Amino acid sequence: MSLKSALESGKFTVTAEVGPPKGTDIKKILHEAEMLKGKVDALNVTDNQSAVMRINSMSFCKLLLDMGHEPILQMTCRDRNRIGLQSDLLGASILGIHNVLCMTGDHPNAGDHKEAKPVYDIESVQLLQIVDALNKGKDMMGNDLMGSTNYFQGAVVTPEANPIEPQMMKFEKKVHAGANFFQTQAIYDIDKFKNFMSSARKFPVKVLAGLVLLKSAGMANFMNKFVPGITVPQILIDELKEAGKEKALDAGIDIMARHIKQLKDENICDGVHIMAIGAEDKIPAIMERAGLL
Amino acid sequence: MIITKKRDVKKLMENLKNYKSLFLIGCSECASLCGTGGDPELASMKEALEAEGKTVTGTLLPKTGCQTLGTKIELKKDKEACAAADAIIVMSCGAGTQSAVEIFPDKPVFPANDSLFLGNMTRFQMFDERCSLCGECVLDKTGGICPVTACPKGLLNGPCGGTDNGKCEVSPDIECAWVRIYDRMKKTDQLEDFKEVLKPKDWSAGRKPGTLNTREKKEEKK
Repeated sequence: MSLKSALESGKFTVTAEVGPPKGTDIKKILHEAEMLKGKVDALNVTDNQSAVMRINSMSFCKLLLDMGHEPILQMTCRDRNRIGLQSDLLGASILGIHNVLCMTGDHPNAGDHKEAKPVYDIESVQLLQIVDALNKGKDMMGNDLMGSTNYFQGAVVTPEANPIEPQMMKFEKKVHAGANFFQTQAIYDIDKFKNFMSSARKFPVKVLAGLVLLKSAGMANFMNKFVPGITVPQILIDELKEAGKEKALDAGIDIMARHIKQLKDENICDGVHIMAIGAEDKIPAIMERAGLL
Repeated sequence: MIITKKRDVKKLMENLKNYKSLFLIGCSECASLCGTGGDPELASMKEALEAEGKTVTGTLLPKTGCQTLGTKIELKKDKEACAAADAIIVMSCGAGTQSAVEIFPDKPVFPANDSLFLGNMTRFQMFDERCSLCGECVLDKTGGICPVTACPKGLLNGPCGGTDNGKCEVSPDIECAWVRIYDRMKKTDQLEDFKEVLKPKDWSAGRKPGTLNTREKKEEKK
């Protein structure tokens, strides 16, 4: 089933993030993708995440498609100008890729090529408008296309951004620019997330709550300190600490499973986006504990 | 103004290894305020060069170094000192350096400074970039704060996910431009304008090399 159909059917949708490696050896990631077959509704392939140079998103999306997965092409505005972005959108379309997640992209300063010239010729809101135009058979300049695209386009939002007001205004711009679904930055406080959802529900868009697997108390503290827009509540950090070093990952799996269950049971959002960050092999266990498998 | 900083002296000395006598040109405008090309800097450069065994044939602090014709006229009184120099050192911005290149077609010209950005002097010898000279001003839509310049990504439609308590993901020393814009537009009751989606920028408006002629066109002779 396509991501669009899954979300529109009202099914609690599960997507997972996969980051292609740096280098051409893809045995590990193919194995993980194989494990997730038939379990998740779509796999979301990162675009040089954290501005670290890796295999591009489009090539890996195509491999996933050939395996029978439903891929979501992540597309950032960091490395390509408007010509490159539109050309890649047409290219991905003829490969059979029909989901795209439009984002601005981490600054090169975060990555392993800090001296790179950042492009940002256009940005996420404008990219959504461009996808909308390509779907209607026109490029962004209004020139006719010989055949249009058929993208189901998504965007990202940070529900716990501080301050929240400008973030929500941008969220609204993204909705008007044509976003069909949103994937959020990692959330850990379901009550706070409910507040965000009460605003988001005013708009005709689907929302996947972003969930990052906690592997240790140290990782949680690190994210609190260094990752903008993510707050892991102290009570969860204590839970990881109490589990001890060897059982911390297991506690992290429990936490995520619990959150997924609550989000689904209370019908808070339309699904979840799981970011296991290197522990993709644990996703089936998370889904099992959440009662999804 | 154009913000400059002194180039690495070693690099400049490497440039000058084949030249013995030199003429120095500063600038009374931006470079003087930046402390890179005023009277004190001309004097200390002269001293440093003489310590390296060079001869300084003369110095000039022109009114506006990037005004090519004006600087050329000011240099008339230094005709002999210039003639005696093997090379010219310019202690202003890249534009001032290229005025000298135009004025001295037969002499090598070397820059003493790196040109950094168009900025404001916020306090004495403290400078912040404020304008990217993009050719198509958006300040009317952004509460008077330039996101093309103040946001490392040049975003036009609001903050990215990297904003953290009003700070930028690139560095905690940078205030998030879009949080500043939001706060200001809220105070000035302009938040309605914030909602407008700004279109992709027309980068052709700032295409290089820029050129502008505002002279009234003379009637063509019949």
